[in-house]
Amino acid sequence: MVEKVKTFEDVCCPFCGTLCDDLEIDVDLKTDQVVEVRNGCQIGTKKYFSSNPSDHRFTKPLIRKNGEHVEVSWDEAIDKAADILVKAQRPLLYGFSSTECDAQSRGVELAEILNAILDNTASVCHGPSLLAIQDVGASLATLGEIKNRADTIIFWGSNPVHAHPRHLSRYSDFIRGYFRTDGRNDRYIVVVDPRNTHTAQIADKYIRINPSEDYELIQAIRAVLRGADLDVKEVSGVSIEDIKELVEILKSSNFGVVFFGMGLTQSLAHHRNVDTAIRLVAELNDYTKFLLIPMRGHYNVAGANQVFTWNTGYAYSIDFSRGYPRYNPGEFSSVDLLMRDEVDAALIVASDPGSNFPAASVKNLFKHPLIAIEPHKTPTSAFADVVLPAAIAGIECEGTAYRMDKVPLRLRKVKEPPGETLSDKEILERLIEKVKEKLGE
Amino acid sequence: MDEIKLKIKKKLEFPLEADSITPDNFAGKTVAEIKKLPLYYATKKVTLGNFFDVSGKSIEVANTKIIIEGDLSNVKRIGEKMTGGEIEINSAVGMHIGNNMSGGKIVVNGNADDWAGAMLQGGELEINGDAGHYVGSAYRGYWQGMKNGIIKVKGKVGVESMLWAKSSKPANKWPTLYCGSADSFLGIHNHGGTIVVEGNVDRCAGADQAWGNIVIKGKVSRLLPSYKKVGEVKEVQLPNGEVIKGKFIEYSGDHTIKKETNGRLYIAA
Repeated sequence: MVEKVKTFEDVCCPFCGTLCDDLEIDVDLKTDQVVEVRNGCQIGTKKYFSSNPSDHRFTKPLIRKNGEHVEVSWDEAIDKAADILVKAQRPLLYGFSSTECDAQSRGVELAEILNAILDNTASVCHGPSLLAIQDVGASLATLGEIKNRADTIIFWGSNPVHAHPRHLSRYSDFIRGYFRTDGRNDRYIVVVDPRNTHTAQIADKYIRINPSEDYELIQAIRAVLRGADLDVKEVSGVSIEDIKELVEILKSSNFGVVFFGMGLTQSLAHHRNVDTAIRLVAELNDYTKFLLIPMRGHYNVAGANQVFTWNTGYAYSIDFSRGYPRYNPGEFSSVDLLMRDEVDAALIVASDPGSNFPAASVKNLFKHPLIAIEPHKTPTSAFADVVLPAAIAGIECEGTAYRMDKVPLRLRKVKEPPGETLSDKEILERLIEKVKEKLGE
Repeated sequence: MDEIKLKIKKKLEFPLEADSITPDNFAGKTVAEIKKLPLYYATKKVTLGNFFDVSGKSIEVANTKIIIEGDLSNVKRIGEKMTGGEIEINSAVGMHIGNNMSGGKIVVNGNADDWAGAMLQGGELEINGDAGHYVGSAYRGYWQGMKNGIIKVKGKVGVESMLWAKSSKPANKWPTLYCGSADSFLGIHNHGGTIVVEGNVDRCAGADQAWGNIVIKGKVSRLLPSYKKVGEVKEVQLPNGEVIKGKFIEYSGDHTIKKETNGRLYIAA
């Protein structure tokens, strides 16, 4: 009997920062298409199916000619892209979070050659966490520790039921661990959120907080933990009795962890919310073991930070204009640069700022020459002057990705890339070669 | 004082980094030598002569006054690490004006962008307009920011001004900020800095203050819950010897750092 479907086991899912590594993918050998995904969540499964041929997938390089995207050869597309980058006075290289580490490393190389600005999507998601960690340090752990030991879990401004669907069942809530043999019954879940989210609905304690007043609440918790008797009766919509009760719960736990998301990093006060959360966790260690872990969004945004850091010393918002890396979010972060209209060309790799950045900055981004390395049609690629079609890392090419707790995992190739698509790494390598040639190096 | 005059020649499309414009670099040099000093424009290394007309001469650093005319709103890092002399700017100025300076005086007759007087070690920075965010603050990752000197801002200062300010009693160093009004997180992580605000302040003033004094003559939009009322005072004595008269409510904090703390926040009664 001829085998029609090949099953790949223990595949690592390239969608969110949870990076589940137990997926089973069935690929039809005749058509080379994904036909079944097991163990994955809704979002991860959809990503695998998105690799199959569709109207949304790019299969050939495109160049904008007379306002229309026209199919061209790779040589022509790479030449045009290199031309844009070499002619630019202040190019921006942005994205990198939804691709593997080798491609990210090539991105750093290209930025250095071009004296460009290099940024990744942390700049609009967990960048504030990194700023806070630089200011006050952080007590971190791997998710395995949480699974086996944690008995008090706080989700602050994060909603894993929707954003990281398998987080609860794999690491933080329902899973049975070495010291948590009864799974969910052995854990106490606290959710702090302005909205009664689906995560809040399965929690043991839900604290409804006024929007953007997280900083005040954490300060109050810390002051109560210090033994101070506060003047106020209520903080951020939470009564002082509730705060005292929460402090007792935290102090009496055996092993606690705070998972925090965009609710903390992208509400008003940004990195200061994380700063005070980190200090709360550090101070709780006077009583018990406590840790915190950022809920990273893109599957390899943690990897982008790692790769950029080991290459340049900085995790994001890096400027090479003087020939050496400099770092200053606010000055060299993509959104701020675009708002001030300081960028005159951009290369976007595996990211879609067109649908995520503030409108005013996107307007400035689209004003100038734009290159997109992208597998699918997105608002960004629709406005690109050059589209370089990429194979999807983790589905059509191999690579390494870092989970939200900074554990590196190997991504696998389950099918061949469609049409003329190349991996992000290969595209960037060809671009580097061409740019070097044009610069006469 | 011997004056050296600069006038910007071009309209800037990208920021120009002008950390070589300091009395230290100009003193004892001829006009031709000054014109050869390096500046950075976009990704290119250029010379001062490419962008500025230069006239005047000075021998000693302490006796040098640099006067700059023309639109400098996109010129960064003027007066970086200067140790003496004076700079006068008659327009708005870009980021990092007077960062790391340890002596001398800078007067800006216009608005200043972010990080004005960041990591100030001494000297005086006067801004006769509004200033951006992070006035007199520490740079990313530093635990000790402004250690000495005075910053005076006539208008508003942005968020996180005087971040990680650090005083020293034995060395008699009292970093001080005077401003018209302030945005949120004024004096966060303060370790002895003094801040006097003529007007109103947004949320979270003095967050995580270990010690130091913040005097607010207007209102605070939202006081931190971790501050506690101590009582009322008729005057405030600042560590640099200055006395501020007026009825103030005295608060102690931030109690997140210690149960009993020397940090003080005074808000007009």
